Amino acid sequence: MNPPPPPPAAAPAPAHLEFKAALLLALLVLLLAGSVLYVMYARGVFEATQTLVLVADDSEGVTVGMDVTFSGFPIGRVRRIELGDDGAARIVVDVPRKDARWLRETSVFTLVRGLVGNVAIRAYSGILADPPLPDGAVRKVLVGDATAEIPQLVAATRELVRNVTALTSADSALNATLGNVQEATGRLKGRHGALGVLLGNDDDAKKLVAALERANALLARVDALAARVDGVVAKADAQVFGADGLAPEARAAIVQLNGMLGNARGTLKKADALLADAQAVAANARVASADLGALRAEVEASLRKVERLVDEINRKWPFARDAELRLR
Amino acid sequence: MLPSLSGPGALSEITHALLRWLGGWWRIVHLGAVLLVLALSPSSYTGANRAAIAREIYLGTMPILLWFTLLSSLVGLVLIRIVVVTAASYGLSQYALQMVVRVLVLELIPLTAAIFAALRIGLPDGRELARMRQRGELEALRGGGAEPLRTEVLPRVIAAAFAVLMLAAVASAVTLVLAYLSVHGFTAGGLARYTRAVGQVFSPAVALIFTIKTFLLSLAVSLIPMASALYDLPRGRSRTGAELQALVRLFLVMLLIEAASLVGNYY
Repeated sequence: MNPPPPPPAAAPAPAHLEFKAALLLALLVLLLAGSVLYVMYARGVFEATQTLVLVADDSEGVTVGMDVTFSGFPIGRVRRIELGDDGAARIVVDVPRKDARWLRETSVFTLVRGLVGNVAIRAYSGILADPPLPDGAVRKVLVGDATAEIPQLVAATRELVRNVTALTSADSALNATLGNVQEATGRLKGRHGALGVLLGNDDDAKKLVAALERANALLARVDALAARVDGVVAKADAQVFGADGLAPEARAAIVQLNGMLGNARGTLKKADALLADAQAVAANARVASADLGALRAEVEASLRKVERLVDEINRKWPFARDAELRLR
Repeated sequence: MLPSLSGPGALSEITHALLRWLGGWWRIVHLGAVLLVLALSPSSYTGANRAAIAREIYLGTMPILLWFTLLSSLVGLVLIRIVVVTAASYGLSQYALQMVVRVLVLELIPLTAAIFAALRIGLPDGRELARMRQRGELEALRGGGAEPLRTEVLPRVIAAAFAVLMLAAVASAVTLVLAYLSVHGFTAGGLARYTRAVGQVFSPAVALIFTIKTFLLSLAVSLIPMASALYDLPRGRSRTGAELQALVRLFLVMLLIEAASLVGNYY
């Protein structure tokens, strides 16, 4: 029946066919299982992870499975992207526990869009001594869009170019200043040099030079004068401080004056005693004058009595009536 | 089994052709279902049948495994080099590895493995089966109490499907290793980064689509030539005509599977 067809194919069939077929089968199973395990490992299925939620205004370009990098090393991958209740995109990231130590409380996360639309999520930890980021932490992600900056950059550049153009135009202040500087340097090179620059015109510069020359001549004369004054001073020195000079005589006079002053001091002491005596006299006089008051009062009282007595006598005497009549 | 569909003469030519076309596909699906049932029933793996399956698997896969691995490695190496160098020249070398894995492992290798297995195993087996059927050997077997579907067809189908899976698996593994070596060289330093890149390519959806695609390709390669050999042999038609029809049908199915997988992966 059908034996004829198999023989050509089965002729080279080696021994242990079933065993070899089983080996092939085992190889296939091994390859498949290995591939599955490898892919699962590559997807991080066997890693203990913690969750980090990044909140962004716009999750465009972010894909599930993309990496979150730290210093260029992937330390996490996006597991899910969802729309939060507040309308912001929530990017749920799985961070393997062994890599979580790079993330701290103060870590900053950025979402950067490149020029060709590629998106990268990066983490930055400035202070690695800060407390570690807890599981399930929610952080705002800073969006840096390279293309969004371009219009701004162009506007700023245009402004800058306009300013530079204004600065360098023919009637600009900078140009005028440069012209003045050029003129000044021209004068510096001229006959009067820096003086010409300082004074503005040549006439004044000439006057200044003349004044300088005259001042020089004056200084020379002052020099000669100083030499003569020197001689005069020497003579005066001899006259004043010499052996027969003024100073020794003055010293003798002062000694005499000192003696006179001693005499004067003695005289003054005597006057002082005199004054003390006078003071005692004055004190006595004061006591005396106090007694005088009482005396005077007594005298006044006696006088009044005498007066009354006289009045009495006058009334009683006949010539006194005349006086009475006269009063009527 | 199914009676071969002879169209009623009253119907117009187009309806007839359409029915025949639909009938052809239906027979493939039906045969697939029957063979799946047979493949899953333990009684198919007893005694002589197991030996037949082992023989078909070994003799079908072993001779082409080495050649295919060598050829795919060579082509893969060239492609990896092109992709890596081009990506580096554009400053996109971080995407080169992903592209290599996507283009080679996900798309090219399963397809080439299927084509290779179809040309070396599926179609020749189909031709052999058709010849047996022409010679009436299958009928004779059936008359002798044997079940040709189980003894002759099932081993060949299993062998072809196995060959597709085996070739794809080996070539993929070799290509992954080659890609690593050509990007990082002979050092273990880049292993973590490489693993991560591979992990990023094989997201659950992509991995699922890749698995389903490879499985469907292996089914198409093993079933379509057999079905064509068993049923599509109208009298008076030449043998090459039937074979060509099987080839066209197979390539159409492969194209559809590949297109569907691309749509699933990238849309």
